[in-house]
Amino acid sequence: MVDSAVLAKRARDVVGAEHVRTGPAAAPFAVDGVTPGVVASPGSEEEASRLLAAAYELEAAVAPWGGGTKMGLGAPPRRLDLVLSLARLNRVVDYEPADLTATFQAGMSLASVQAHLGEKGQFVALDSPFGARATIGGILAANASGPRRLPYGSARDLVIAVRIVHADGTVTKGGAKVVKNATGYDMNKLYIGSLGTLGILTEATFRLYPLPAVEETHLSAFPTLEAAGAAVAEILGSPLVPHAVELLSAGAAPAAARAAGISWAAGQVGLAVLMGSVPEAVRAQLQDVARFCRGAGSTADHLVTGAAHTACWDAIREFPGPGAPRSLVLKGSVPLTRVPELMSRGEGLAGQRHLPCQAVAEAGSGIVRFYVDAASAPPERAADYVETVRGVAAELGGHLVVLEAPLPVKRRVDVWGPVGKALRVMQGLKAQFDPKGILNPGRFVGGI
Amino acid sequence: MERQRKAQLAAALGAIVGRDGVITEEDELRVYECDGLTIFKALPELVVLPRTREQVEAVVRLCHRERVYFVPRGAGTGLSGGALALEGGVIIGLNRMGHILEVDVPNHRAVVESGMVNVWLTNKIAGDNFYYAPDPASQTACTIGGNVAENAGGVHSPKYGVTTNHVLGLEVVLPDGEVVEFGGKALDPPGYDLTGVFVGSEGTLGVCTTVTLRILPKPEAVKTLMGVFESIDDASNAVSDIVAAGIIPACVEVMDNLSIQAVEKGVRAGYPTDAGAVLLVELDGPRAEVEALVEPVSRVMRQNRVREIRIAKDDAERLLLWKGRKAAFAAMGQISPDCYVQDAVIPRTKLPQILREIAAFSREYGLQVANVFHAGDGNLHPLILYDGRNERELHKVEEMGAKIMRRCIELGGSITGEHGVGREKRDYMPLMYTEADLEAMLKVKRAFNPDGLMNPGKIFPTSKTCVEAGAAGRDGIRYRPHRLELMGLAQRF
Repeated sequence: MVDSAVLAKRARDVVGAEHVRTGPAAAPFAVDGVTPGVVASPGSEEEASRLLAAAYELEAAVAPWGGGTKMGLGAPPRRLDLVLSLARLNRVVDYEPADLTATFQAGMSLASVQAHLGEKGQFVALDSPFGARATIGGILAANASGPRRLPYGSARDLVIAVRIVHADGTVTKGGAKVVKNATGYDMNKLYIGSLGTLGILTEATFRLYPLPAVEETHLSAFPTLEAAGAAVAEILGSPLVPHAVELLSAGAAPAAARAAGISWAAGQVGLAVLMGSVPEAVRAQLQDVARFCRGAGSTADHLVTGAAHTACWDAIREFPGPGAPRSLVLKGSVPLTRVPELMSRGEGLAGQRHLPCQAVAEAGSGIVRFYVDAASAPPERAADYVETVRGVAAELGGHLVVLEAPLPVKRRVDVWGPVGKALRVMQGLKAQFDPKGILNPGRFVGGI
Repeated sequence: MERQRKAQLAAALGAIVGRDGVITEEDELRVYECDGLTIFKALPELVVLPRTREQVEAVVRLCHRERVYFVPRGAGTGLSGGALALEGGVIIGLNRMGHILEVDVPNHRAVVESGMVNVWLTNKIAGDNFYYAPDPASQTACTIGGNVAENAGGVHSPKYGVTTNHVLGLEVVLPDGEVVEFGGKALDPPGYDLTGVFVGSEGTLGVCTTVTLRILPKPEAVKTLMGVFESIDDASNAVSDIVAAGIIPACVEVMDNLSIQAVEKGVRAGYPTDAGAVLLVELDGPRAEVEALVEPVSRVMRQNRVREIRIAKDDAERLLLWKGRKAAFAAMGQISPDCYVQDAVIPRTKLPQILREIAAFSREYGLQVANVFHAGDGNLHPLILYDGRNERELHKVEEMGAKIMRRCIELGGSITGEHGVGREKRDYMPLMYTEADLEAMLKVKRAFNPDGLMNPGKIFPTSKTCVEAGAAGRDGIRYRPHRLELMGLAQRF
């Protein structure tokens, strides 16, 4: 057991008393019901380094914290003594529009980043959810992504350099601040998606893209997921370059339609295809999309532009929206052609268990998200649902991860799922980078 | 290795792959003593050529058990000395494992053996109107396994990225012989991104036997423009202005006057020999988009005092515009006995500055430098021309090369954009990374390759201190066209 008082004193020595919380003030920083003894907010990379060095010496278990939007990801922590908040590391470090590169501290929110870059007509091509509160560090640690990963890739394709504070306080950098770099191992790839278990990110450099001149969307209604899937297959097999292809279950589509100011017939599945380019190319490509949709049996076709367009994609990205029940969220990933099947079988299995469920899929990437209301169901039923859908995903050639779940459900399932023999290498990496196991112990795959 | 042990090892390897899969005679081993960077030579003791994953597994287990160094090798077209058996031992050649195992067009995936030649995949799926995007210059000879090892690029990297952006899964034989799978057809597998860290690891973490790749529908339209400029500065400014206009072309390539002269002597591509620079811009994508961007790109060129703009009307004209750029490296032989190819990276905005500095070095050292570069990514290939018969010139080339590399780092760049570190640049790593940075990388290596038997002497400096550029090699630095170039099977960018 780590002495909280000793840890708190060491933290105060590093960051100052005004940036340390203990006792009841630390309660909002609980992770899966485990409250840390101390919450500390370093104001610089150097302070973060000294703080971690102190934690390492005391063998205190540490969880990094950005905007707190994805703290539900991962298994419950085996132990937690210190939450290290990145909130005060929120500056722009450098930005060169002509180079299309920019460096931000890890505590900056995605929304602030985009606002800063938007002034020069550029952006980081990441549209993961919770943008107003989610921080760069948290987005990268969780490898969060959104609908626009289709043309641009996800964080691992966009990050070119990072700075990391390691378990013992050592600071290192990975990559380089240029888009072409083949020097040594691609460390960025390891840190991204590692949930802070190999080190804590303090800075990240991104390759940037120009904002598309125009963005418009074709939103169509289909009687079945199968029919919508046929339209998707045509689109993805063609030379069209959509920036997002989103399949919305009959339960999920009305939210997007409402945001777009469109009336929606009950029971209709939705397909939203986003084009971003010069106006001539957007219109020409959307006409092709409309043709494919009608050919596959769409019952309604809408062109969504302007403010309605923005609201529609906000609704899709932030599904099911603030305030809506979202107790159990699953992320399946399968080969593209299996998306409609995973969606419909996942929904069917939920229905059989009386679990309200809606599904939204990035059909061009093979990602299916299930939003399940498990709040009033017995945890065994929800856990059984998770394992059954995971089995379906595996049967279809993919895998399934639990993004969020009530604690009693988390205790009954493996939130990450199996990783096969590669686990041995992952455990070897963890042992190298964090031999004392102080960074988010127990939260990652295989109990890492 | 003493003779009896070598014979026993050869016999054991022969039992795994068959006698015709083991090379023991020195004259045959010589083929494997260097790669595309011919200055470094190291004769392996044995070469083994497996045909299946099971054979690779058994070979690696044997080497591990016998404590023998082993090095994987594809086509040997690499440009950093990465495929050399620096400590002797066994080279495992993957060229007999070149099958395309699965083409899955509707899922945008292909699964191939690592010895497959890069261009074979695009050739195979061309009938479906699909292609594999990373197209390094050596693609008619290099293997996917080699591309994975070096994280190979190609002229389409400004828009399509490099190999790592297109590899989704790997089957790997770890250095102790255990077979593991990383990733697969589906995105975002849980756990650490072992696929991502393996790409670009230069054959030091394991032998990959199978690769799952992303394939894409061919773009609907392609348009190639060439601008003839009075100066490199004008061409570079045009590139900056294209970026500022919010346009990301598929390719952006620049050649300077000296390269143009060499090229016109060699292949007569029709580049004006009095031009300061030529800029090649290729746009691809939906037809409406490509057509809409031709005028903005042309306007940018005109605003930067372009002398002449040529726009290819058809495929034949497009190939002609590219002909000179593709022949650039080999053409250096027209104007100089020898040539040292550097692979330098700087932020795009620093291009005019580094070029001015290279010109100053060139005057200072009395050595001509031709510049060919991937202007879209700030990836520069200064070609230092010299006469290898002159010992003093060799030293000057080494010194000048080191100075260029140092300046690139100081300007915020990198020591290699696409050729990798290998043997050639390992002692320059401390220019870019601190001891702590390198130690983090070594942790990765230890997690995969704790015994250090696999591919020793690559990437990491061999001593703690920063060794001066003299480490480039006693034998001198020569660019001789690879025999595959002479055979017309490969071109170098």
